[in-house]
Amino acid sequence: MAIEIKSRTDHVRWPGGVRLPVVLTFEHQSGEGAPLFPGDRPNYMVGGTMQYGARRGIWNILELLDKYQIKATFFVCGTTAEKYPDAVQAAQKSGHEIAGMSYSFESVRTSSTDRERSIIRRSVQVLEGITGARIQGWRCPDYRISPQTHDILAEEGFAWDSSMLNDDLPYLFDCGARRLVEIPFSTSTADKTYIGYPYPQRGGPDGLANVWNNEFEVLYGESERSPRFLILSLQTWATGRPAPLRILRQFLDRLVGHEEFWFARCGDISKWWLEHTESRGS
Amino acid sequence: MWKEKHPDQPLRWPDGIRLPILVSVHHQSEEATCPFPDGQPDPFDYGERQYGARRGAWRLLEILGKHGVRGTWLICGATLEKYPEVSRAVKQAGHCIAGHTYAHEVMCNFPPHTELGLIKKTVSAFEDLLGEHIQGWRTCFASHNTIDLILEHFDFEWDGSMWNDDLPYIIEGHGRQVLQIPFANYSDTALGVDITSPSNPPTRYSTWNANPPDFQFRGLKSAFDALYERGAERAVMMPLVAHDFITGRPFRAKVLDDFIAYAKQFEGVVFAGHDQLASWWKNLYAA
Repeated sequence: MAIEIKSRTDHVRWPGGVRLPVVLTFEHQSGEGAPLFPGDRPNYMVGGTMQYGARRGIWNILELLDKYQIKATFFVCGTTAEKYPDAVQAAQKSGHEIAGMSYSFESVRTSSTDRERSIIRRSVQVLEGITGARIQGWRCPDYRISPQTHDILAEEGFAWDSSMLNDDLPYLFDCGARRLVEIPFSTSTADKTYIGYPYPQRGGPDGLANVWNNEFEVLYGESERSPRFLILSLQTWATGRPAPLRILRQFLDRLVGHEEFWFARCGDISKWWLEHTESRGS
Repeated sequence: MWKEKHPDQPLRWPDGIRLPILVSVHHQSEEATCPFPDGQPDPFDYGERQYGARRGAWRLLEILGKHGVRGTWLICGATLEKYPEVSRAVKQAGHCIAGHTYAHEVMCNFPPHTELGLIKKTVSAFEDLLGEHIQGWRTCFASHNTIDLILEHFDFEWDGSMWNDDLPYIIEGHGRQVLQIPFANYSDTALGVDITSPSNPPTRYSTWNANPPDFQFRGLKSAFDALYERGAERAVMMPLVAHDFITGRPFRAKVLDDFIAYAKQFEGVVFAGHDQLASWWKNLYAA
């Protein structure tokens, strides 16, 4: 069973003159995660809203990121990549990191080790077939790990996971012979929390701007004294829409062009964290 | 059995105090995590809440310290046992410390002897780990027995479990008195997140139905402005609740930071612990 390695982190410095890495993580599905009506009848209101991400949202996002020359991480559901391979290939070609997020939005919380491993392996194969590259990172689609998720990921050669919601900084898991870097995030700052479903929205796009600006200001202030990073969980079906996309653009306008900020992919953070917390020799 | 005692004429706080603000930090971390029907904790809910002890409580402690604000920390016994370093830092900073059940139990689900055992277990945890004999108590989901148990078996000076009044009141029974310091919906659970969605069990933390921070700030500000105005005429108080795992997140912590900065500009505003308020009330009655 994976055990969290407790370590002091105050000494960790980010590369170069970076004060605050900014990690944009886009979760990409095409309705696999939509709840069904009783009797497995489709819910096109929610499912279709999510499908927007695969049809249009991701392209809108890629265009913005390319224009700003920002690298991000895309968590891609296996079946979405099979149905819409072009966008995943385009994302990789632009230098974004492709990571796994289930084969078809399976919830693994109570899965057997064998079943969970087969889901992970299938996702690895599907994404490798489409992009030619082996994925290094993972996020459980419903953010609900099983007791064995971290161990399986380490055994399957993953470098990092980003399914946890309990910290401000990365940390390491000791998974027997291997280490796995955990890159925690929060749903509290996620786009879908404020603009998600086609039900009454709390806050709307302006509220989202309010959340991100506050989050940035607090973490930026704290990063003067201790290492911090800003990570956002975004849905291609939510932020890919024109109004939230404009909010993201305005948020990025505050940050691009300043050397204090580093638009890092999860893999970049994972590599740096592993090297700089391991070398401490405690 | 017990009865309430209210003042028979309007009171004024001592020393020109116009509006006392009682910042209550609920330090409960993952204790109220909602289990799935199979009895296992929801890993998602657990992680969002565990942030409270790992990071959120430290951030709130820092903000209170920055403003020189003394508040009340309502701490679960189990949280104290799992993360004693947080509670030690809280004690070191001089805040009022009180009990907040053992593991955030919904006490109305339990018979009196179980509730009694849980309160005793929590009181002991504070004595053993913190050397603190707690004087205050709050249970978010009180039972019909809570007040009787507190009067009969404990020597608490105050309880903060009720939601039903503007001002403190004395509760008398079992040969003694305890001061009730009610709380109100000037809280992150009312303004920031939906914690009681009808589609969820009463304590599931649904981050999916949240208000943005400016909404939360406006809620606090409008409550403050009304109370400050009213405070010119009579005693008022503002019990403000912040949870480690909710307001402890960076973007919401700023709401508390900004609100304190706003409120402390006004003359006659003081930030006080529940123990201070209890002693003022006692003196007003004695006078």
